[in-house]
Amino acid sequence: MTNTTHDYYARKSSDHHDHDHDHDHDDHKQPNPANEHDNGPPGEYEIMSRAMQELLEQKGMITAAQVAKRMELFDEEFPYHGAQVVARAWVDPAFKQRLLADGRAACAEMGAMLEAERLIAVENTPEVHNVIVCTLCSCYPRALLGMPPTWYKSRNYRSRVVFEPRAVLKEFGTELPDSVTVRVHDSNADMRYLVVPMRPQGTEGWSEVKLAGLLSRDMLVGVTVPKV
Amino acid sequence: MKTLPSDIGGEPAGPIDTIDHGMKHWERQANAFRSVVQMQKITCTDELRRAAEDLGDRYKDMHYFEITTSAMRAVLLEKGLFTEQELAAKMAEIRARFNVPDEMESPIKKGAKK
Repeated sequence: MTNTTHDYYARKSSDHHDHDHDHDHDDHKQPNPANEHDNGPPGEYEIMSRAMQELLEQKGMITAAQVAKRMELFDEEFPYHGAQVVARAWVDPAFKQRLLADGRAACAEMGAMLEAERLIAVENTPEVHNVIVCTLCSCYPRALLGMPPTWYKSRNYRSRVVFEPRAVLKEFGTELPDSVTVRVHDSNADMRYLVVPMRPQGTEGWSEVKLAGLLSRDMLVGVTVPKV
Repeated sequence: MKTLPSDIGGEPAGPIDTIDHGMKHWERQANAFRSVVQMQKITCTDELRRAAEDLGDRYKDMHYFEITTSAMRAVLLEKGLFTEQELAAKMAEIRARFNVPDEMESPIKKGAKK
């Protein structure tokens, strides 16, 4: 990221708990707009985190350059492989079988090395719709989907999606017929999930690249569905 | 039977803000710092999660990166990598470092104020 939002001196405001500002980081390709909420005096946790980093630097256990490098890599290191993997599964039934049998190995074929031991790909069908959560923290297939969105880590999503998934999906603009079973999958540190959405009608003959363009992160978490 | 403050699946809660706000600058630092500490095998996910669970009642009022930062503090103190006094002194030093005249600050702030 090169924009000034991530300037070293950018600050957070004292009202950083307030998330109802309307800037939108949803699109992976767009740089984050300047965030004035990072201005203002630094908070206690910011100072604490920075202080811990500097103390470990002084002990020679880590370097500032390592941390700076990681900060730069957040967007680049976890490329958006998820859409490519699902598009391949849509056009290549043998790959889809391998993906559903052993998600980690199938993703490795496409150059996405999963951080967790297992990746379980769950396929949406006319009868079953799948949604992913990590109720205990924020486990997420980062190697496929990038950094988890704010809402995925939020208390409200983690609490509610397991007992009222239809209401939660509705908040994302997704309404499913009552006849569809909704399955919610709870991830953990060793086991991550990926939703394989249904290929929409009207995409017959589309190239893999064009199909991948249909797929957003939210669809691969299962809170929305692809449409043409 | 609930035992951990992080075990919130199934609890009633409010509406979901479906917009991804990304990470604030300090959250990127905290996240990157945690990655590096784990890569250097100074601690691991399980130790940090246990420390987060130890936050008890404080957990529910804290935001995600506040929880992870508190957990990191607890783990590094337990490992004796620094003392509470050393951490407090370093925090005071950083606080003082941030306290610079406005014109020396970030161009964002300079441009945005008044």
